[in-house]
Amino acid sequence: MWYKRTIPLLMVFFIGLLGFAHNYVPHPLSVSFRERMTTWLRIIFGFALFIGAYSLLHMHVTRIRRRQAGWAYSAFVFLGAAAMIVAGLWNDGFGPLESPAKGVSTWFDWGYDYIQVPCSATIFSILAFFMASAAFRTFRARNVGAALLLVAALLVMFGRVPISETIGGWLGESQIFPAIADAIMEYPNLAATRGILLGMSLGAISQSLRILFGIERSYMGAGD
Amino acid sequence: MAAAQLDIRRMTIIRHTIYVLVAAAVIVPYLLEVPLPFRPSSSSRKLFDVIEQLEPGSHELLSFDYAPDAETELYPMSMALLRHCFKKDLIPVVMTHWPDGVGMCKKACEEATAESQQLWGKETVSGKDFAFLGFKPGGGDLLFNMGENFKGAFPKDYYDQPTADMAALKGVDSLRDIDLAIDLAAGATVRMWIAYGSDRFDFPLGVGATAVIAPKLYHFLQSKQLVGFLGGLRGAADYEIMLDYDELFETPGVATRGMQAQSVTHVLLIILIVAANARFIANRLGGRQEV
Repeated sequence: MWYKRTIPLLMVFFIGLLGFAHNYVPHPLSVSFRERMTTWLRIIFGFALFIGAYSLLHMHVTRIRRRQAGWAYSAFVFLGAAAMIVAGLWNDGFGPLESPAKGVSTWFDWGYDYIQVPCSATIFSILAFFMASAAFRTFRARNVGAALLLVAALLVMFGRVPISETIGGWLGESQIFPAIADAIMEYPNLAATRGILLGMSLGAISQSLRILFGIERSYMGAGD
Repeated sequence: MAAAQLDIRRMTIIRHTIYVLVAAAVIVPYLLEVPLPFRPSSSSRKLFDVIEQLEPGSHELLSFDYAPDAETELYPMSMALLRHCFKKDLIPVVMTHWPDGVGMCKKACEEATAESQQLWGKETVSGKDFAFLGFKPGGGDLLFNMGENFKGAFPKDYYDQPTADMAALKGVDSLRDIDLAIDLAAGATVRMWIAYGSDRFDFPLGVGATAVIAPKLYHFLQSKQLVGFLGGLRGAADYEIMLDYDELFETPGVATRGMQAQSVTHVLLIILIVAANARFIANRLGGRQEV
């Protein structure tokens, strides 16, 4: 109990308190402590990348082993990862070729530029089709609130693109629609997002205090 | 049962028709190239003006915090900002918090340096006219380190050159010595840059963000925690217009051309939403259930 619970809780309390206090103490010792802490945290963050990679690969191994639907895509994850790792490490990315001068594209760069970039951009751009279809099927003025949201969305969508200035020009004032879109973004949108942000921040502070004082212990694992 | 199957079939046809219409709305404007003049938005203008006021030799930190999926919106911004830096003899210091953003940074630096030679006859050299620091993990903690000891946080640049005596980083010992930082963000890095960067180490911060993130940034602009921001493809297009891209290259920039496609797609979406709601209201008035 002492090793598993009390010591970790005390460590969290004291390190957390120090992490909080050094923000208000400009003494060189405090500054040096902060530098050291942030360097350690960056090292831990680096290891987190390995954990992320392990977790991803483990998930796909399981899918392949159980022959779950779409398991062949999981095999492709390994193929892609292995190809990029080999391309990056083998002869500084130049593979069996003689390393030319600096600034010349490597195999790794080629894989990034001509496979990863277009594939990622394609996946992202497909969103436009789904969003259009979803907006057509679900965006309805079912009540007053939804109707207001709908009108605001249409005005912002229209005011954000150049064609609104052309049509505004025909009506006598080219900036009328962009001005309406800006007003919606700068007043009601701003008020709402600030409210949400304040709520989130207060929640984060209260959660941090709960962890610091040992009230919230779920990070210690099951049973605590 | 037959009626339900008919409804599903009808919805499938509608969905596929929408896909075809969206594809046409994107492709046709690129083929026709109908010019749609527009005025840069005020938030883009603010950022541009701040950069215009910087003295030659000032350090502009550019954090390209995005992966290839946001390339369409943020890469034209990256290029426009680097172009502006080299035009005004500013020293861009490029870095990223995203491991897969390194390729984007590298490509932008290489393209912008080649372009600088072609446009202004300036030979821009890594380590002298700009610094490319690459990726470092840590997020907010990295910003702390950069604020306390900039060159300690990045002892070497992307090309393995030590930063201690690097000409491009002369006089930069802390984030406090940066004249302007701009975060090009596709994720949650903006608040990190504000909380751990500009608010703590007191330097002006601007942002370029994807259109999804842009609505969440207006309150930072109002509280003057941001000096300006570029929102989505429109922000990139604004910057191209302000930099007189079409005069430099005798053709509109990639983001400016994209605005034509975006205009038509937005209008199509508005028509679809209005048509769907007209049908919904008509059904309601007629006492019919909408499918």
